[in-house]
Amino acid sequence: MSIDDLRSRNLAPRKLIRAPLLRRESIGQAYHVLTFDAPSDCRAVAGQFTMVRGAEWGDAPLLPRPMSYLTAGEAPSILIKVFGEGTVRMARAEPGEPFELLGPLGVPWRAPTEGRRQLLVGGGVGIAPLLFLARDLADAGQKPVVLYGGRGRYDLPMRHDLKGICELQVTTEDGSRGTKGRVTDVLGELLGGDTEVYTCGPDRMMAAVAKMCAERDVPCEASLETPMACGYGVCLGCPVPLTEGGYIYACTQGPCIDARRVDWTGDHAPTRVDTEATS
Amino acid sequence: MSRESVTVGSLELRNAVLTASGTFGYALEYDDFFDVAELGGICTKGLSLHPRPGNPPERICETAAGMLNAIGLANVGVEAFCTDKLPLLRERGVTVIANIFASSVADFVTITKRLDAEAGVHAIELNVSCPNVAEGGIEFGKDKKMCAQVTAAVKGATKIPVWVKMSPEAAEIAAVGKACEDAGADALTAVNTIRGMAIDSQLSRVRLKNRTGGLSGPALKPIALRIVWDLVEAVSIPVIGIGGISTTRDAIEFLMAGATAVQVGTANFVDPCAASKIRAGIQEYCEQKNVTVRELIGSARR
Repeated sequence: MSIDDLRSRNLAPRKLIRAPLLRRESIGQAYHVLTFDAPSDCRAVAGQFTMVRGAEWGDAPLLPRPMSYLTAGEAPSILIKVFGEGTVRMARAEPGEPFELLGPLGVPWRAPTEGRRQLLVGGGVGIAPLLFLARDLADAGQKPVVLYGGRGRYDLPMRHDLKGICELQVTTEDGSRGTKGRVTDVLGELLGGDTEVYTCGPDRMMAAVAKMCAERDVPCEASLETPMACGYGVCLGCPVPLTEGGYIYACTQGPCIDARRVDWTGDHAPTRVDTEATS
Repeated sequence: MSRESVTVGSLELRNAVLTASGTFGYALEYDDFFDVAELGGICTKGLSLHPRPGNPPERICETAAGMLNAIGLANVGVEAFCTDKLPLLRERGVTVIANIFASSVADFVTITKRLDAEAGVHAIELNVSCPNVAEGGIEFGKDKKMCAQVTAAVKGATKIPVWVKMSPEAAEIAAVGKACEDAGADALTAVNTIRGMAIDSQLSRVRLKNRTGGLSGPALKPIALRIVWDLVEAVSIPVIGIGGISTTRDAIEFLMAGATAVQVGTANFVDPCAASKIRAGIQEYCEQKNVTVRELIGSARR
């Protein structure tokens, strides 16, 4: 695979599949990787997401949960953080339990630019679509920089999976791993004229990253997360305010979008700290 | 007449299953999923005279067996609907029910006249029951005189059948329904969402920016079923049942209560093919029991 191959992929049609859980791997208390046994090859592209729901949940929790793909293929997987009722259920699921996955949904990461160095900036579960992207880039012969931040060493799920495929830099607010501080404390020295940034994490982190990139005229792509009911453009529950005025819907016009278009500062700016605001 | 077809006033529908306004976009979002022309009909997102951006986030929030929404009638406006969406729906042979919304009687009439100029609008559904907008909406729907006035004005402006979507918050919903019937309504849709709210106890703040939102989903179903029953008692025009219908069994319950057709709403969010599956489920049920859908209508009342 080359960068050109990454640039020329078509998006697969969306469909609802029934897929039993193949395995669940716990990462500490809060994080889990759920891998599903898909009936056919899942052709999701890095940055796309799926709406996930237990097929036997009944009337509650009612709505599926939007989750970025961690991997695609015959065994698509997601990374969850336990936060609300839906993720609590997912964190208890045992292999064989049936799930329904709607996808692949949304706009994937913008394809990388030839001649630029990719800088991936993530926090918490936001690492999922970035790890997917980092693997693609590694397959295409690139070595991206991944800047990964958390409150402490327990907030850095999947960091071992990043080793070898990227140049990894870690920050923690308590200093228990990597550089003490936040990703934005380190980001400045990594941003150069030949870099392009991909970011996913808490809104405040993405807002700070977007601001630094805009000031230095570095392209920055953000993956948005908002509550969603449907994930495919009809509930209109996931508006994100734009600098040009109006909204985009994160499900069909995102989740990946040029960070300069997002109004990170206004009254209705994204302020989500954690995921699953639907519970 | 097929085993599945039903008649709503002068309009014959392929089958009794429609999709609810605000939960199905403009029906063009379903190409990956199924052929929406197989449904009895689709109700569009509420159309206003001018495009509306909708409310600021947060607009939705899940509750026990349901959800709250305060979308604020974000829509493309009636003009863009007529030029960009309707021709494609016509081409596909979709039965289109245009749901419309305005904050004055005059605007309701203007929107109606615009739709009347187009082929392929099979009915107009008056949204006089939206709980999430400052003007019009639910304030019309709770007042039988206002409801009757809007209905009569719209009826006077078009030959297209007119349905009125009822608010569950009207104190005397049967009286509101009767007033709409007397004003010329061809059918009643019951019911829209009921206002609720949610608070985030972690952050000690209201979840929805609009503070309140309309409750939909399975939690609404018993209330909706009771209202359908009461309206069927009160009026002689068809009643279309809506409120928390997620399964074939739910839909059949509404038919048995006397609804002539049903609308599937929030269930579309959980499964884009929900309405199609419910349609197939009703067909299978009727084959097994050797009955027609028409025979199911009101069967629990007899």
